[in-house]
Amino acid sequence: MAAIRILTLARRVIEQLRADRRTIALILGVPLIVLSVAGVLVRLEASGATVAFVLEDTGAPLPIASGTVNLGERLISSLQGVAEHLTVEQMMHDEAHARLEDGEVDAIITLPVDFSAQAIRTRKVTIPVVYEGSNPMIARTLDTMLTRGAVQMLAGLSVVNTGGAPEITLDATYRYGSAEFDQLDYLAPVFIGLFVFMFVFILTSVAFLRERVAGTLERLQATAIRQHEIILGYMLGFALFALIQSLVVLLFTIYGLKVHTMGSLLSVFAVEVLLALLAVNLGIFLSTFARNEFQVVQFIPLVVALPVFLSGALWPIEEMPGWLQPFAWMVPLTYANHALRDVMIKGLNLIEIGPYLLALAGFATVFVLLSALVLRRQVGT
Amino acid sequence: MNSYAVEVSNLHKHFGKVQALRGLSVQIERGITYGLLGPNGAGKTTLIRSIVGLLPPEAGAVRVLGSLMPDKRVMGRIGYMTQDVALYEDLTVRQNVAFFAAMAGVRIDVQRINEVLALVELSDRLNSRVRELSGGLQRRCSLACALVHRPDLVVLDEPTVGVDPQLRVQFWDHFRRLNAEGVTLVVSSHVMDEAARCDRLGFIRDGRLLAEGTDRELLARSGCATLEDAFLHFAEQVAIPG
Repeated sequence: MAAIRILTLARRVIEQLRADRRTIALILGVPLIVLSVAGVLVRLEASGATVAFVLEDTGAPLPIASGTVNLGERLISSLQGVAEHLTVEQMMHDEAHARLEDGEVDAIITLPVDFSAQAIRTRKVTIPVVYEGSNPMIARTLDTMLTRGAVQMLAGLSVVNTGGAPEITLDATYRYGSAEFDQLDYLAPVFIGLFVFMFVFILTSVAFLRERVAGTLERLQATAIRQHEIILGYMLGFALFALIQSLVVLLFTIYGLKVHTMGSLLSVFAVEVLLALLAVNLGIFLSTFARNEFQVVQFIPLVVALPVFLSGALWPIEEMPGWLQPFAWMVPLTYANHALRDVMIKGLNLIEIGPYLLALAGFATVFVLLSALVLRRQVGT
Repeated sequence: MNSYAVEVSNLHKHFGKVQALRGLSVQIERGITYGLLGPNGAGKTTLIRSIVGLLPPEAGAVRVLGSLMPDKRVMGRIGYMTQDVALYEDLTVRQNVAFFAAMAGVRIDVQRINEVLALVELSDRLNSRVRELSGGLQRRCSLACALVHRPDLVVLDEPTVGVDPQLRVQFWDHFRRLNAEGVTLVVSSHVMDEAARCDRLGFIRDGRLLAEGTDRELLARSGCATLEDAFLHFAEQVAIPG
């Protein structure tokens, strides 16, 4: 008898789920979408770094033996063999620096006229490097590669090496950040944005769903309050929580985890406010498509997990396959991540991150309109 | 100002394939309690939601306190109690009442909140969270929310469903007192024995008004002894030609 009860209960669960087509679609569909995006990203070639060489080295005569040697040229060719995904390009000083600003070049090595001569005379190899630095991991990897390349450069030059190999030092400077920046400095801005977005979205959609299911929304709409006042009230109420949350997260990140920040906290806040307002309205909008909390939870992989993969939080968008990149720019978090990194790592100000702020404001406006639309429609049914 | 609190004329409304209201007309005078009677699915709730301004009419018109609905200015003068309790469970009784007072555009006045809570006999549960209250007490709180802003029209959808007899008597006492102050009440019910308490009754079925009048008139016209029989009598009358 117990078996029949168990089977009957199991059948009821299955029948209930079957009646909920959307749940089935989300359970089966969303993991596939998230997995395929994650799969594509994880398989991406390890970040392809580009080093620009400004080679002014004219070489120097070898001591004892006859002939000359150009250590600069040797360094270029040895670096080219160091790692597959390291691109070494020779260019002029101005071009190199322009491309560093654009983020196309990750480091510039400028070898002066007397590079070889100095090395031979002082028995010290000093390589001046300028790292772009906004992704500390790239700088870290390049550091190792450059040292390895320099060792290879000297290998086989028995004349130079007599009496012990010359000492190799990298004289590194950073365009953004510093040698103290680590992976957390790169990821913290993303987390700061993600937390606000995720929690405000979940809070609003559940709160609004409850309001609808409990009947208080109907009662509210029967009062003198207007649609836009409901939306503004919700935005204001949740924005307060979002701001307290971002303040706590931000202070803990900076003073507790000792994450570096170059820009002003106010700029970080501005991004957070926009992100919170956007999340409130996305929550109101999407909650109307859910009948219960269970269905709200099902939105999370779609609204939170997928954007995390797509937003350049872990994998830079420029390295994504071409067909995926437009999708990345459809995700509001993408703009928030760029803005927050620009402020915290590069120290840019509100005007410099203006385009990202505008994009976030644009998304927020679209979501406000959408939630106003669904609120209006809710009355009519 | 005309003498009607509510004027519904030729109101149509449908949801998908379901025709909820088929040209319903009814006029409700000021200062009375009007009972909308009919079985479940007759269109009572749709009519009520149209009267309070939640549903814009598809065809026909709804006038409340002289203005065409939906009109937000008028909606602040209506007190609406839904069929379900519809309160913020996490908030206290006082917070709920204060919230709906503010939503009606009334300045939150502690004295008025205390007064209305005394009226529904909830004064000792002011600071209890709604979640902690029994069903009957939640209903009282819901009524307080509908009355706190001194509305001119009070619309109550099945106010006495699931309410114990003692509380039901108290509710009707409040309704009488409100009428005495000039407030109009529209009450829906599917329980015929409650209808006798209303000044006038409207029988509703299939989205239409079958018959209308005081309970005595309805009994006399139908020649029946009970309102239940009278309802069936009018329903058959309509059904034969239709």
